[in-house]
Amino acid sequence: MKILILGAGAVGGYWGARLHQAGIDVTFLLRPARAARVRQEGLVVKSPKGDAVVPVKVVTDGGEGGPYEVVVLACKAYDLDSAMDSIAPAVGPDTTIVPMLNGHAHFAKLDARFGAARVAGGLARISGMLGPNGEILHSGASGVSFGERFGGAARDSLKALDAACRQAGIDGGLNPEIDQDLWDKWVMLGTIASMCAALRGTVGDIVAAEEGAAVMRETLDECCRVAAAAGHAPSAKVRGNIEAMLTQSGSKAVASILGDMEKGGAVEAFQIVGDMLARARKAGIAAPNLRFAYVHLQTYEARRARGGLK
Amino acid sequence: MKVLVLGAGAVGGYFGGRLHQGGADVTFLLREARAAKVGKEGLVLKSGKGDAVLPVKTITRGGDGGPYDVILLTCKAYDLDSAMDAIAPAVGAQTTIVPMLNGLAHLDTLDRRFGPEKVVGGLARIGAVLGPDGEVRHTSPFAAISFGERSGKPARPSLTALDAACRKAGIDGGLNANIDQDLWDKWIMLASLAAMCCTLRGTTGDIMAAEDGEALMLETVEECRKVAAAEGFDPGEKGIANLKTYLTQRGSGFAASMLGDLERGGPIEGRHVIGDMLARARRHGIAAPNLRVAYAVVQAYEARRARGGLAGSTKQP
Repeated sequence: MKILILGAGAVGGYWGARLHQAGIDVTFLLRPARAARVRQEGLVVKSPKGDAVVPVKVVTDGGEGGPYEVVVLACKAYDLDSAMDSIAPAVGPDTTIVPMLNGHAHFAKLDARFGAARVAGGLARISGMLGPNGEILHSGASGVSFGERFGGAARDSLKALDAACRQAGIDGGLNPEIDQDLWDKWVMLGTIASMCAALRGTVGDIVAAEEGAAVMRETLDECCRVAAAAGHAPSAKVRGNIEAMLTQSGSKAVASILGDMEKGGAVEAFQIVGDMLARARKAGIAAPNLRFAYVHLQTYEARRARGGLK
Repeated sequence: MKVLVLGAGAVGGYFGGRLHQGGADVTFLLREARAAKVGKEGLVLKSGKGDAVLPVKTITRGGDGGPYDVILLTCKAYDLDSAMDAIAPAVGAQTTIVPMLNGLAHLDTLDRRFGPEKVVGGLARIGAVLGPDGEVRHTSPFAAISFGERSGKPARPSLTALDAACRKAGIDGGLNANIDQDLWDKWIMLASLAAMCCTLRGTTGDIMAAEDGEALMLETVEECRKVAAAEGFDPGEKGIANLKTYLTQRGSGFAASMLGDLERGGPIEGRHVIGDMLARARRHGIAAPNLRVAYAVVQAYEARRARGGLAGSTKQP
């Protein structure tokens, strides 16, 4: 099986490096500057599960080296349009696209462009970031989850990807409940991203405010109700785990969106928060905290656009 | 009339300096280092209304040079306790304290310490900061103060004298027979602005660019207006209309100074400006969800600041 991964950030880079180390046929589709660096230096991974310098295959044109059975889309939501253009030449009649983006908004675009039959569900639980020299600083969790949307038996390419993950020591893998998992992750992310962004602190900082934990719980409830309206309410166990994690005093947990904002970078405001709010409105669910958070993020974007962050 | 000004920060420095220029007998009560600098270089004003270098009188102990008829208290709310200790020796039987702080909570604190008959109402309307060399930089087109007896009593002679001194010095505003309402009007504006700018981290123009930005701003003004009304100081439709226009201007570069403080990692008047408004809303059974979120933001900031976790924050707007 041949796999193409678009993007060598924390998610695509870590996953792809481990697959390559396990002998899987992986190719990275990268922008020219990143491609040159990775070709020269290899993909550098610093991880509690073992450091590595991995001499991966790199292309800068999606038309090269195919056809690919699986194309993993490991870009940010705001790069989706250019990412779709990049992978288009790599998508053949038997290619499955596995997007690892946050939220749900990307599915409509991918389905329209490539046909829903080619697009599986996917998400990453890989914590890490890119270091100053383009190295992948992996900090712990290393799970992925993917599978057929709307249920149904997994196609062969996803089974093969699952086997490859096992071989590479990647947690998770094929998930028959990927739709629920996507919602569970979005509920968690929608809550933590809204709160860390709007309140500009870690979970521990927020919980230190008199009403911090209450506001966090309300936001979680807003997201859970949106998920329920979509037919994907998190189970009591999942919800309990999320709530415990997001109300733990002294916790250093923080949404990466806050780091992006404090660097003055681009954010997935619509995909993580705005789209959740839009769905709440469509379903008639009151979501004052999501609304507040989205105004916050849009204010940030306006300020960023006028160059007012420095 | 002898005036004592506590501190030579942006507000005290500007108005004290102008009063001095106008011929009033003004003394500044300063910390040692600031007193030495002002003694050597004078008090430096940079302003659209005229630059000046003023050889003002300074003292470092409140017991010196008195008795004073008027004490202008222009400290930040979080410095109120030390400010009260500093002025205490300067407060004599005939002294009137004119506090220029934001909000209202300081009035109770001052009443308890010095007796309500010594404390009048006051506020400043000015955009000003201290520059890197300790100079007062006046940045707004306006520079006004407003002061007067609380509860609408007739003005005592020292306030009438201060009013005359302000006129001579070309300071706008002055004695205000309805200072209680003015205090509320300013607090409504400031609490709304600070709550929104700090919570949303942008200027009013940035906030207006968000889909629900204007709605959120107007809701917040309404929360504050309801609190003022419950305390007997409803500004009325006319009083609130200007404010609403001001706070919802497209493309405006207007922001609360608290946002600058917060982005520098400095101390902020969070409880005084926002927390106290929220507390009063609760006492009156007024729903104030926006103030509540804003106060959570401010407290999360304070928690983060206290643990030294602000490195990497964005810089000033």
